[in-house]
Amino acid sequence: MPSSRNPPLQGPQDQERSQDPDADRFGALVHAVAQSRDRTAFAALFRHFAPRILQYCLKLGVDRSTAEELVQDVMLTVWTKAGSFDSDQASVGTWVFTIARNRRIDRLRKEMRPAPDPDDPGMTPASLATPEESAQLVQSSRQLQEAIGSLVENQSEVLRRSYFLEQTHEEIAEDTEVPLGTVKTRLRLALGHLKRSMRDKA
Amino acid sequence: MTLPLHHPDEELLIGYASGQERAGKSLLVATHLAYCPDCRQRVASYEDLCGAWFEELPCPPHAGLDGLLDRMMAGLPAAAPVTAEAAPPRPAAAGPSSGRLVPEPLRSWLPEAIDTPTDDGTWREISRGVWLSGWERTLSGTRICLLRMAADAPVPAHRHTADELLLVLRGAFSDEYGRYALGDVAHYAGGTDHYARGASEEDCICLFLLDGDLIFLDEDGNPL
Repeated sequence: MPSSRNPPLQGPQDQERSQDPDADRFGALVHAVAQSRDRTAFAALFRHFAPRILQYCLKLGVDRSTAEELVQDVMLTVWTKAGSFDSDQASVGTWVFTIARNRRIDRLRKEMRPAPDPDDPGMTPASLATPEESAQLVQSSRQLQEAIGSLVENQSEVLRRSYFLEQTHEEIAEDTEVPLGTVKTRLRLALGHLKRSMRDKA
Repeated sequence: MTLPLHHPDEELLIGYASGQERAGKSLLVATHLAYCPDCRQRVASYEDLCGAWFEELPCPPHAGLDGLLDRMMAGLPAAAPVTAEAAPPRPAAAGPSSGRLVPEPLRSWLPEAIDTPTDDGTWREISRGVWLSGWERTLSGTRICLLRMAADAPVPAHRHTADELLLVLRGAFSDEYGRYALGDVAHYAGGTDHYARGASEEDCICLFLLDGDLIFLDEDGNPL
């Protein structure tokens, strides 16, 4: 299995991303690291992202010293792989998240995260889609963005705790002081809301 | 080109994007992504959502990481900058034959080719025209092997105690819910009945994932 790569995806979405001044600022910092090994830019990225990587690991139950090792590991990847960051594919925050996710899985589960290889001749590129399929792809992407944006707050929160923080339903019920049945209902509603945006869902 | 019509459940796509899903089902999801530009987009959208959650994590003002920053700054390797255009442009899918190649990450993971002859001892016939691969591997608690169905051969009735997932790698099969062709995913919850049979001229070959036990039943519905 090839080692996990970061966003393997050719995503046409999110033209609006560049409107965010923070996104531009972080993108420029990563660019400076990639182009001129800019240490000041790296330090600025570290001050913003390192505490988040640390919190992410601690929330997932990693002990402090292992969490710090993961912070170092992820930030070193930011330094060495800055040239592979593509602002058309993802925000810097998403890019750093995917690195942290992959490192955590490698390190803590001793598992490789299976991922497609964008250079694989066996991969079906979006360019092979018929014009009709291409139109559906654009529409599908927009519909999902809308569905994510219109998630009810308490459903989004259950989704976040369940998938991002990997809490059990019981842990979510206890932390949010909501009955277990309500947690399950909210999760089912959230997934149903996202699922309805999928085209031709079987 | 016909893109896949049957996709992994939303739970699997979000779990794959967040890293919550374990390696076994992630292998099936990742291989489906190689076939499905739509799900690649969806996973990218869910990664964006996780990226937003990551940005919003509450961080105490003094996280105690200054020492780590100092140590890192002292030791940053001065490697040559990696340029963005490192990857050469991919040839626009090398002809129709590329559809036959099992995509990564599955290709490197498989212990042998998927289309070995059915009479060379690498397949185990479970009923007329239906085989399981001689190999079976377990990945993060999920059992993985291949299921092969000759044209119109029915998979014998069976009961499974937990999730059963199929990903079509060659040919097509059908069940009471529809027809599944290259790259399509069928997901059956534990305890459900379904009746799959080969639905293409060539043998249909699927990646077959099972979380629990699989029990084949005789004509009276008793375990074999």
